[in-house]
Amino acid sequence: MVGRNIARLNAVDVVLWGLRVGVVAVVVIGTVGTLIKGRYNAAQWFDFIMFGLTIGSIYAQIALGYTMVYGVLRLINFAHGDIVMTGAFAGYFVAMPLDRSGFLEDNPVLAMAAILLVAVIVSTSIAVLTERIAYRPFRRVVGLAPLICAIGVSFFLEQTFRGMFGSAVKSYPDPQWQRAAFHVFGFNVPRIDVLVIGLALIFMGLLYLIVQRTRMGTAMRAVAEDGEAAALMGIDVNKVVVFTFVLGGAMAGIAGVFYAFVYKQVYFLMGFTPGIKAFGAAVLGGIGNIPGAMLGGFFLGMVESVGPTLFLDGIGIPAPYQLRDLIAFTLLIMVLIFRPHGLLGEALAKKRA
Amino acid sequence: MALLEVADIHVFYDKIEALKGISLAVEEREIVTLVGGNGAGKSTTLRAISGLLHPRQGSIRFAGRSLAGLGAHEIAAGGVVHIPEGRRIFGRLTVNENLELGAFTRRDRRDVATDKEQMLVLFPRLRERLKQLAGTLSGGEQQMLAAARALMARPRVLLMDEPSMGLAPMLVEQVFETIGRINQQGVTILLVEQNAPMALGIANRGYVLESGRIVLDGPGRDLLDDERVRRAYLG
Ligand SMILES: Nc1ncnc2c1ncn2[C@@H]1O[C@H](COP(=O)(O)OP(=O)(O)O)[C@@H](O)[C@H]1O
Ligand SMILES: [Mg+2]
Repeated sequence: MVGRNIARLNAVDVVLWGLRVGVVAVVVIGTVGTLIKGRYNAAQWFDFIMFGLTIGSIYAQIALGYTMVYGVLRLINFAHGDIVMTGAFAGYFVAMPLDRSGFLEDNPVLAMAAILLVAVIVSTSIAVLTERIAYRPFRRVVGLAPLICAIGVSFFLEQTFRGMFGSAVKSYPDPQWQRAAFHVFGFNVPRIDVLVIGLALIFMGLLYLIVQRTRMGTAMRAVAEDGEAAALMGIDVNKVVVFTFVLGGAMAGIAGVFYAFVYKQVYFLMGFTPGIKAFGAAVLGGIGNIPGAMLGGFFLGMVESVGPTLFLDGIGIPAPYQLRDLIAFTLLIMVLIFRPHGLLGEALAKKRA
Repeated sequence: MALLEVADIHVFYDKIEALKGISLAVEEREIVTLVGGNGAGKSTTLRAISGLLHPRQGSIRFAGRSLAGLGAHEIAAGGVVHIPEGRRIFGRLTVNENLELGAFTRRDRRDVATDKEQMLVLFPRLRERLKQLAGTLSGGEQQMLAAARALMARPRVLLMDEPSMGLAPMLVEQVFETIGRINQQGVTILLVEQNAPMALGIANRGYVLESGRIVLDGPGRDLLDDERVRRAYLG
């Protein structure tokens, strides 16, 4: 019995099991080790968690764009990360003069509203244009061509912005009020984190209401499920697709501004890493699943922020915080191998049955 | 002039000619049925009328206007409503959302509410399940929902593709009864069926399709008694 089972194991299974055991071992041993060593105090862990929530809320907003477009068109919009970049740039060109004139410092609410508004207008317009010009002609094409087209759009946006604004990294304004922190129970809560998380939650809540409660939102869910049947209801699928890109583009613009304020910089390739990670977050939540994308974003942000120190410090890896991306991408690869339908995949399958 | 006129349409899937010159007419308030074996081209005919497919040749006119170049959503909004093969309800939306989508193009919200109430009187099972995901309904209930959803659009012509497919015999009777009632309320019906005896029994007129061509047409009763139809479809 046992002998036969062992004989049936092939090399791939062995490697996969090795991978599984290895990752679990690193996580468990590392976590125990880190906690026993006790090199980090509560305030430091709190900082990691706050940052995880902040960056996670940004990933969540970007992930929504991937998941909605995938849901409606079955297209992985490879250029979505670059839409985030266009929002960050648009925000930059509003934020800079406001910063120089002191307006950003003195009127944070109005200034942020203006920056976000312009960023959203620009990112949304570009998202809609990419759909109209590049993706629509590929709508009925099967195979890899649409994905390759999306990769082309990504390069086009990156190189266009590089051509217009140069390849140098520009630093984003850093107003005093963002650097200050609230003090709650002895912990420092940076204001920028409160702003980013709070607004992200509000915008995502709004988006969720739009998708669940409005006529266009319902039409969008119908198209995602069966575009042809939706057309037979009198739903203009092209309009729904544009609407989807509007929602995704708006979220991407907001995320771009937040991302730039958190890292204090913009440059033409800045959308790539958060784009890939947010795509991973969407897969994590089960691609096409809107609440899943939000959860996936927060989960990924948290793992990437808390994970390096928690898992790696205990096994003696120095300066683990630099290995954030390694942790994030390891998580994504593990999910793709072991749960390709996402962490919520099972629940979704049950719901459909 | 007939309400719906299909004149010599040829429809292709890539290089395969699925319809080789179909002509038919449906008068206002009629029930007309298309019968024929599997692969004869019945679904393709309905899909061409509702704009899901575009004929390479020939014309389709509704209420005197050509439908050429219109998208499926425009044709639906114009009053030609297609219940496709396999019902195609939105399983991940609630029953209520499915009904609301049926009225997607209508602006008269108050009349929509009245119509929904009427649907729930006609199909009381749907009322019990309004908040449920439509995917959880049984096959018979899904067929009711598909019909109710289509009626929410206040169609002038209803294209129905095999509404009895996969249903228990008792439910099949009900489906045909419902079709008769919908027709009595003034809706013109083009019905595609493999269940030829039932369809020809209820229809004013019928067309028999074979490999993309109409081989026979006439009043439903006559076709039912026709020796060739009997041999081919009635066993
Ligand atoms: N999507 C498709 N691609 C290629 N051929 C198709 C497709 N759908 C139907 N056909 C072909 O067109 C012909 C008519 O099909 P259809 O209209 O579905 O027949 P029916 O509804 O009478 O059973 C058949 O020969 C079928 O194989
Ligand atoms: Mg058919």
